[in-house]
Amino acid sequence: MEEEFESGVVKKFMYVNRKVPYGTIYALEVLEMILISAAFDQDVHVAFLDDGVYQIKKGQSTGDSGMKNFSPTYRALEGYDIEKLYVEKESLEERGLTEADLLVPVEVLSRTELAQLMSEMDMVLSA
Amino acid sequence: MKFAILVNEGPYNHQASDSAYLFAKAALDRGHEIFRVFFYYDGVLNATRHAEPPTDDRNVGRNWQKLAEQHQLDLVVCVAAGLRRGIVEDTLAPGFRISGLGQLIEAGIQADRLVAFGD
Amino acid sequence: MAYTVSGKTVEADEEGYLVNINEWNEELAGLIAKDENVPMTPEHWEVVNFLREYYAEYQIAPAVRVLTKAIAKKMGPEKGSNKYLYELFPYGPAKQACKIAGLPKPTGCV
Repeated sequence: MEEEFESGVVKKFMYVNRKVPYGTIYALEVLEMILISAAFDQDVHVAFLDDGVYQIKKGQSTGDSGMKNFSPTYRALEGYDIEKLYVEKESLEERGLTEADLLVPVEVLSRTELAQLMSEMDMVLSA
Repeated sequence: MKFAILVNEGPYNHQASDSAYLFAKAALDRGHEIFRVFFYYDGVLNATRHAEPPTDDRNVGRNWQKLAEQHQLDLVVCVAAGLRRGIVEDTLAPGFRISGLGQLIEAGIQADRLVAFGD
Repeated sequence: MAYTVSGKTVEADEEGYLVNINEWNEELAGLIAKDENVPMTPEHWEVVNFLREYYAEYQIAPAVRVLTKAIAKKMGPEKGSNKYLYELFPYGPAKQACKIAGLPKPTGCV
């Protein structure tokens, strides 16, 4: 289930989520990528901005659409030692959301702060 | 420079695969190294052996295969994304191999730059 | 393939994972375990039930590393080890225990 991989090198990874959770596969497959990457002892950061903030909104229900509601899985990230979650303040505000609407603990950063953090990464993967 | 390439879109619904291919070709022509090309999301569809696009247009999958042959490129398809879309050993074109997402993480660690193609 | 439980046919894929995870019940778990040559002791059930609870809460099967850590936290360090889990499920807790627990086949990278 997990690959053996040892390099001793620790790089700063950031996964940037910008899309709504349903309608395209990106949000789910980014989440799968994050869960796998947890096994490689890298410095993993996850950011939610633009419509990506909806991915971690409380109270999701996919109803009869047949799509899996994978929002509970974001709460499993902590158990995978992925605790550096960031949300862009402006993206929340533009959508009338606050931190209280989110289903995981996050650090809310301004657009400028998030851009700064992003520039410190070795690798930024966005979808 | 040592590059890793990530292809995130299907071969014909998006320019990403063409751009990634042309980027890889240009980089190799200038003497750079491509550590690995990793296919994720609909990008895995680049690796189907069953594509037969009209012959008066480019063949995206074949382009990858030829480039891989010329330069011993490592073309890796994500197993989980492939399973979801029917890209498995039986449907895999020559020149590609199926493996885990760890191969992408490793490519990111080993390469000087990881260049992602997609939205 | 398929399992037959109390006269009812339950569909499974060629490796024995349930096609519809909602069709799981304890009798079926016993049947899958038998196919896997796993004798279901209370210790086996403890892990299988733990996996089901984890799945119900997070909608995924945990990575082995995460499973051992979570089991150590809940049931004590002597049970939260690869050695203990592999003694119970020789072909691996991810594959065997998930299958018996009726969870989807782990797609995580092999």
